Amino acid sequence: MKYLQKEKKKVFFFPFRERNLVLIFVALLIFFTITTKGTFLSFGNITNLLRQTSINGVVALAMLFVIITGGIDLSVGSTVGLSGMIFAILTSERLNYQLQVIPAVSVAIAISTLLGITNGFVIYDLKIPPFIATLGVMTFTRGLIMYISSGRMITGIPRKFVNIASETFLDIPHLAWLWLVIAILSSLFLKYTKFGRNLYAIGSNREAARLSGINLRFHYFLAYGLSGFLCGVAGLMLAARLSAGVPTAGQGYELDAIASVVIGGASLNGGSGTAFGAVIGALLIQTLRNGGNLMGIDPFVMQMMIGLIILVAVFFDQYFKARER
Amino acid sequence: MGELLKVEAICKSFPGVKALEDVSMSIDFGEVRGLVGENGAGKSTLIKIITGAYEKDSGRIFFMGREIKKIDPLSARKMGIFAVYQDIMIAPDLSVAENFFLGEYASRFGIVNWNRMRSETMRILNELGFSVDINKSIRELSLAEKEMVTIAKILSFNPRLVVFDEPTAVLTDYEKSILFKMIKDLKKMGVGIIYISHNLEEIFEICDSVTILRDGKVVGTYNLKDRKLTIDELISYMVGRKIEEMYVKTKSDLGPEVLRVEKLCGVKFKDVSFSLRAGEILGMYGLVGAGRTEIARAIFGLDPIFSGEIYVHGKKVRIRSPEDAIRIGIGYLPEDRRTQGLFLVQDVEFNINSVNYQDFLTKLVFIDYKKSRELATEMVKKFSIKTPSVLTPVAKLSGGNQQKILIARWMSRNVDILILDEPTNGIDVGVKAEIYKLMNEITKLGKGVIFISSYLPELMGICDRIVVVSNGAISGEVSREEFSEEKILALALKNYNKVRREEK
Repeated sequence: MKYLQKEKKKVFFFPFRERNLVLIFVALLIFFTITTKGTFLSFGNITNLLRQTSINGVVALAMLFVIITGGIDLSVGSTVGLSGMIFAILTSERLNYQLQVIPAVSVAIAISTLLGITNGFVIYDLKIPPFIATLGVMTFTRGLIMYISSGRMITGIPRKFVNIASETFLDIPHLAWLWLVIAILSSLFLKYTKFGRNLYAIGSNREAARLSGINLRFHYFLAYGLSGFLCGVAGLMLAARLSAGVPTAGQGYELDAIASVVIGGASLNGGSGTAFGAVIGALLIQTLRNGGNLMGIDPFVMQMMIGLIILVAVFFDQYFKARER
Repeated sequence: MGELLKVEAICKSFPGVKALEDVSMSIDFGEVRGLVGENGAGKSTLIKIITGAYEKDSGRIFFMGREIKKIDPLSARKMGIFAVYQDIMIAPDLSVAENFFLGEYASRFGIVNWNRMRSETMRILNELGFSVDINKSIRELSLAEKEMVTIAKILSFNPRLVVFDEPTAVLTDYEKSILFKMIKDLKKMGVGIIYISHNLEEIFEICDSVTILRDGKVVGTYNLKDRKLTIDELISYMVGRKIEEMYVKTKSDLGPEVLRVEKLCGVKFKDVSFSLRAGEILGMYGLVGAGRTEIARAIFGLDPIFSGEIYVHGKKVRIRSPEDAIRIGIGYLPEDRRTQGLFLVQDVEFNINSVNYQDFLTKLVFIDYKKSRELATEMVKKFSIKTPSVLTPVAKLSGGNQQKILIARWMSRNVDILILDEPTNGIDVGVKAEIYKLMNEITKLGKGVIFISSYLPELMGICDRIVVVSNGAISGEVSREEFSEEKILALALKNYNKVRREEK
């Protein structure tokens, strides 16, 4: 019995891999603070960093649910864009609808969720591989954004909504609080509810999950629906930050999200990954961007470096996993 | 003739299992050597080491008198060592002709010479007396055709040592005769052959000598030409104990009927009726592909039921998904535990409780981890599952322990009816005996067990009754008092003969 007690700790504290990530993150913070002579750690920069990361961070969590099932969701960026655009069109004082914030938010999130569930339907019922299915939905959605906005930026969204993005609570931006709450809820959902566990089961072995009496269709719809839902939220966060509906908003977010989740220790084969890892992964990538910027590194070079860092991170992750075996 | 291959003191272990221990043997030029042993005795591991698919932990390998320090699949092929595996690894979407030239297409300046490839392939196949449409893709061929194509391909490489692993399992008598003729031709050319088969009659028919493996060790090598060894002796060497000791049947009282199936029709079977009583082990025998697994899958809600009825505890039930089946109290242990049963990357606790998370280990939607851990720990103890902890990923455990975890999964929720599909496949002999014991214990708890197996001795050893499935229909039912291998085999073949006669 003793050995069971000993291992118990590991589950509730950070496993090895995540502890390493935290260490790397802290090292990065110290490195940038020194190289930028403190500018990095300034109040203005940290809140700015947190604002940007919160949006990517929520998208990373959206991606996480799908990656745990062994799938992938390329449509997250487009969904982010669509959600913000729908909100902008419905509330803009320059257009006819001029809805209140709450109903407009509800519509934007509902449509995003529906889009996610559509992904689930195409993947489970039409049996199209996730990569292709969500590629199709991504392209469709981006087209839809362009169509409803005629490819133009939609401004004039309510002031009080835009303020959400700039205001802080206890010196931390609202957006970051929202991200934190979503991350904690996601973590609890994944670890402590049967639905969360079932997503891991499906990702580790779909057939065995089916034989365990897990309703596959429901859980596919759930994972992709949750992804759509969170992208809807992220889209609204981005619209508030940009104070407009921008047709290209969210473009390329899918790649950052995948990178965050994978750096956070998830396997694209499914069955693994944690909300905590996705949070740290997103923080790492955005910190690198931000810090590199402050150090005056050419943003194009920075892009190259981030690419290399993704490769190195995943290589070491696999290396350690292989050694554990 | 001299020595072609010699292996000396080969050892190989996998996490939790010693697959090979101190294995030595040698094969002469032109010798056909049988390799026998139970599932998990180490035959496949030994072959994979010889063909370079696995690396040995220790020991030495000599080929044509020279020591080979390191073998990988490519260098093995270059030396002329080939294996015909059960799972035939050729590009399934390419044509037969392309597969023949895979990796070395007949070409000039990088442009493929299709005519030459086709005519060359035709020539080789014709020489062997074997005809197949060479423009078909491998996927479109039957299993037997696939195997013959693979063998033909190997022959075109001028091999020195060929390993046949269960080659006749999918072959018809005619194809088998071609295969045996090929083997004899190879033998004349001085090629060494390792022949693995569960069919011992075949071993006696084609092999010059036989090496017996048991639990990763060599029991001995016997000459077959002097006809001193009998099949019964061979079996007792393989098993290492008398059959009676292996299968201990504890008589349990039969209770009321727990399951009755009436006129069930589904994918690949029709009009299937049988019943199962509490405390009973009902064997289900049939040739591979007879429809046993399909019947089990239909009862468990995995495949659709076209017509017919299922009664559980006398009440008619509708089962349309595994969820329905589980709710009613049916458990199913699938044929292939790795691809259908286990969550390999997840821990023992998760694997045992994956079913229970759906209901009784969950309050509202939250999992009760305390109860989950207690239950998993209890099951690990009860089934003496050897694992460092309940939080160890099951991928690290041995096959036998993995299988016990799957049985524990169903017993943790007290299902009334447990369907076991080939539960002893690929499991060490010792653990096999444990699984039989477990089955006895399960029936003592008043549960009904359906035991599907292709291995008659184990069915006859442990079942109260055996229903025989032949070509998608039940061809008979035999009670324990009437068990005889001949009778059951005849029933298993019954419906095939009929079909063939009708075809004529």
